[in-house]
Parts: sequence; C-alpha cells; structure tokens
Amino acid sequence: SPDSGHKYYLQFTTEDYKSGENAGSCLATVLYPKAKSPPVVTIKCVRTKDQKQIQEEDNTLYQKIRHQTKPIIGNNIPDSYGNIEPALEPVWALAVAGSSYIMWEKSTENLGYFMAQVKSAKQWIRKDDFVEFDYTVLLHEIPTQEIIPCHMRLTWLPGHPLKVKYFCASDNQGPEDGSGTESGSTAGILHARGANF
Amino acid sequence: DQVLHIVPETFQQVQLLQHLCSTLPLDLWKPLLPEDIWAGEDLHIRVPAPLVQEVKDSLDQHMISYKVLIPDVQELVDQSMPREMSSHGQVPEGYVYTQYHPMEEIYQWMTQIQKSNSELVTQHSLGTTIENRTMYYLQISQPSDKPKKIIWMDCGIHAREWISPAFCQWFVKEILQNYKSDPKISRFLQNLDLYILPVLNIDGYIYSWEKDRLWRKNRSPHMGGTCYGTDLNRNFNSSWGSVGVSYNCSSEIFCGSGPESEPETRAVAQFIERKKSDILCYLTIHSYGQYILTPYGSTTKPPSNSEELMHVAEKAAAALMGKYGTSYEVGSTSLILYSNSGSSRDWAHMIGIPFSYTFELRDNGTYGFVLPPEQIQPTCEETM
Repeated sequence: SPDSGHKYYLQFTTEDYKSGENAGSCLATVLYPKAKSPPVVTIKCVRTKDQKQIQEEDNTLYQKIRHQTKPIIGNNIPDSYGNIEPALEPVWALAVAGSSYIMWEKSTENLGYFMAQVKSAKQWIRKDDFVEFDYTVLLHEIPTQEIIPCHMRLTWLPGHPLKVKYFCASDNQGPEDGSGTESGSTAGILHARGANF
Repeated sequence: DQVLHIVPETFQQVQLLQHLCSTLPLDLWKPLLPEDIWAGEDLHIRVPAPLVQEVKDSLDQHMISYKVLIPDVQELVDQSMPREMSSHGQVPEGYVYTQYHPMEEIYQWMTQIQKSNSELVTQHSLGTTIENRTMYYLQISQPSDKPKKIIWMDCGIHAREWISPAFCQWFVKEILQNYKSDPKISRFLQNLDLYILPVLNIDGYIYSWEKDRLWRKNRSPHMGGTCYGTDLNRNFNSSWGSVGVSYNCSSEIFCGSGPESEPETRAVAQFIERKKSDILCYLTIHSYGQYILTPYGSTTKPPSNSEELMHVAEKAAAALMGKYGTSYEVGSTSLILYSNSGSSRDWAHMIGIPFSYTFELRDNGTYGFVLPPEQIQPTCEETM
C-alpha cells in the first residue's frame, strides 16, 4: 500500500568487475519501509556463465592464492596511480567480493557506496584448505563523499559460502552493545551462497 | 630483440622456462615474475637480439612451441613515438600525457606550452590559493579582428580526481597538435577562444600526491588548525549552504564559512563574472561516474534553456559513446545524481552563462578515483 514506504522496480545488467564482460541480467523489487528497517528485496537473475565455468574460475583464483609460499601482504591496491601488481590481483578480487557484502548491508535508500581502495591486506595461513585474509578497505560513500575505512576478515573455499566479518569506522551504533570496543567484536556477519559476482 | 609468446603445457616446461629466466638476461613481460609462470597460461618474454637463436634452439630441443609476438621490438618503439612536429604546434618533448603528473611538472608544462605555441597561447594568473600558490590558466586564442566568444574549462576542483587534470592537459595538447590540420578544430578556433584551468584546487592536488591520495577539498585551516578543507564545489554563490552540504569542517562536503569564502573560489568567480557576457560555455571536469550533468543541483526546477542544454549534452554523450562504447548518463544533477548547492556549474548558469556542464569522467566505480594510467588515453580520446 502507498503508505508503507517506497518501492523501486529495477531492471539491470551486470558485468564482470574486472573485464567488463556482460555477466547477466536481473529483475528486482526493493521496498524501503517507512520505519527504519532493512529493505525487502526480491530478485531474479539470469547469468551468462554456467555453473561449471564459474567453478573453474573460482578454482583458478583459489589456486593462485594457495600457490604462494609466504602469506600474502599488500598495501594500497590499486596504488595512487591506479596500478595493481599482478600478484595482488587475486587479493583485490576477494576484497571486492567481500566489500560488496559490507556495502550491501550498509547502503540505505539515501546512502550508497563504492570500494575506493584496499588500504591493506594480510593473509592468515590456515591448517585447513580455507584461505583467510584481514583487510582494511576504504569505501567511498555517496552523497556525503566520505571515505569510510572498514576492517574486514574474510574466509573462503571454492564451493563454500564466502564468510565476511567487518567493522567500519562509522559503525558506532551497531546492533551489539560495545561493538568495536572489545577485541574480536564485529558489527556484522554475513553468509551467502557462492562467491561469484 | 624479439618478444615470444609461449603457452607451457606441462609442469616440466614451466620449470625449464623458469630456469631460462634465471640463467639468461630475459625480460618477462607477462607474467612479471618467474614464479608466476603457469601451465596453460600465456607467457610473453622479450629476448635480447644476441640470445634469440640460442633461446629458440633451447625451446625446440625441449619441444616447447612458441610464436613470435613481436619480431622487432625497436621498430615498434620507433613507430610509437610522437610524429614529427615541424609543421604543427609544438608540445613539450617527452611529456607523457598518458601518465599522471605532480603539480611541479604541470607548472613547467604550462610554461613550456606557452613558449612553444606563443602565437596562440598565453598564460595568465587568476589569483592565489590559500597556501599561496599561483593559479594559472591558459588562453588559446587565434589572432583575429572579430570579437570571439569564450569556452571556459576547469579541471581538478576536487583533489583526488586525477583523471581530470590529466584530461585538461590532454585537451590542450590535442588542440595545439591539430589546429592546423584538423578542419573542425581550426574552424572552432576561428570563432571561439578557449580558456583552460588545468588545476583549480592546487593545494589539494599536491596534498593528494604527498599525504592522502583520497583528499577532496582545499587546504584552508579551520578551528585553529584542527580541521582542514572546504569543498570548493559547494562554495560558490548558488543557493549556497542550502542542500547537500555540511556546515561541519570535518565533512567532505563542508561548504565553507560563507559563499566564496575560499580564495580559489573567489579567483575563478571574479574572473568569470568579469567576462561573463562573452562566455558561451562553462565546463567543469570531475570524476568518476560517467555523467554529463546539467544545472541545477540545488533544485529540481529546470533551467530556462533546459531543452537546448539537454540536446547538446545528449549529442556529446552519443559522440563519446561512438568512440569506445563508453556510456555516459545525461541529465540534471538533482535528478540523476544528488542534490547539492554551491556548485560552480550552477553558479555559472545562474549568472547567465547559457551552457554550463559538469563532466564526470571514467569510470563507474571499479577503480573510481584511482583510475589506472592505461585509461587516461581512451578516457581523454572519447571525451574529445
């Protein structure tokens, strides 16, 4: 009913973040209720790649990371001039995927985000097969134009949901009391199906 | 020298290639490091001329197939050099327009450009920044006995948008290199003068090189030096302080202590105000987002000539797309982007300049402000 908020009808295409190749199209509705609660979303997408191709690409990405003998560390990805070292591209790709969860959670009817830069990335080597990274990512917030630093911990294994824990500098009204003042506390934990965007 | 393209098929072949790289002075183009050589992935390797035969023999011996990607590297290098400029305008030798340049180099470039094109180009001062740096613009004007209308373009009002000053420099180079040979440009200059301000927010730009790559505002101190910077594009006298701003210095969209409170804003505004009856078009270049924005940001009420404004902008977007397929969205700021007051574009239109546009250049958020230098050329070419 017209009194219960703003509803948006969207039709859009998606593209590969890096290559710009068309990745599929989607139909969605987004309802922002009057009260300050998260939006209600319905969405249906048609991908251009099949499951097998996606799995192959995930595995290639995974192997690139596992292939390194030392824990991967990086800063300023891309650098000031827009360059990304080829060895750090997989690290950037994972950061993009993980940040998209953060931005999904944080965005509202009036606030949107882009990932501006990976400030730092540090890999934690695990005994199991999962890859794990600690990131500081910088989010560009529209229309305030602010740059919001977020701390993100990400774990992943192809075929498993991407796990993202994060805390952003502006998250001082988190759902949990004292979030951000204790070590190990987080403002949001997200699980999702698949790791492909 | 030759560049070879190899796709190793087995791990053994990978190992052999890695061994070759470590024992001979070979130049890996792709990947960059031997440890990143993979079976099934492209390998591009430059082999110095004296070693070409030896390397090929070794590959043949081990049944590794290869293709010659570049048969003569020197020839390619020579071909890619700028063409002879004896009959055209001079641009500084060796100035690389496909790289980002710090402010010192841009100052030098302006001086050089004026010197080598003195029949067409003059350099003028608009004023000084808060940190006392001189703001120079270049005037490109073909001598003529008839009065000419002016097109004004400024770049770099927001420090972190590096592609913007890069575009202004590219634009100047293109005009000066081609005005004699390109009939469109030469007709253009017969009827119009171009005024180009390559970096408006000089202090901010320098700060983004030296201290904080994602800085946006200028560097004016507030609250006794505990907070810095006014958003120059919220500081103009167009519904100043009414919408889409912050009154707090700590915000990125702080509109300043009053309209035109900043020396940079005043320098530009005073000049344009003086010349406004001759200025046909005001252009201000930003990134990112890929938009051509028309007035207004401060209200959704359309400007008086909105049809004509949109028509011209749509033609520009179509021409832009024709080059590399990049799509630019066209429309009024308050409708397609967000509301904001105090922008230079709104102000220019409000004082009577009929065509006033903000260009938001590439990209769409993938690299955002840190656009890689490989995109400078295509961005600038399509925007021309």
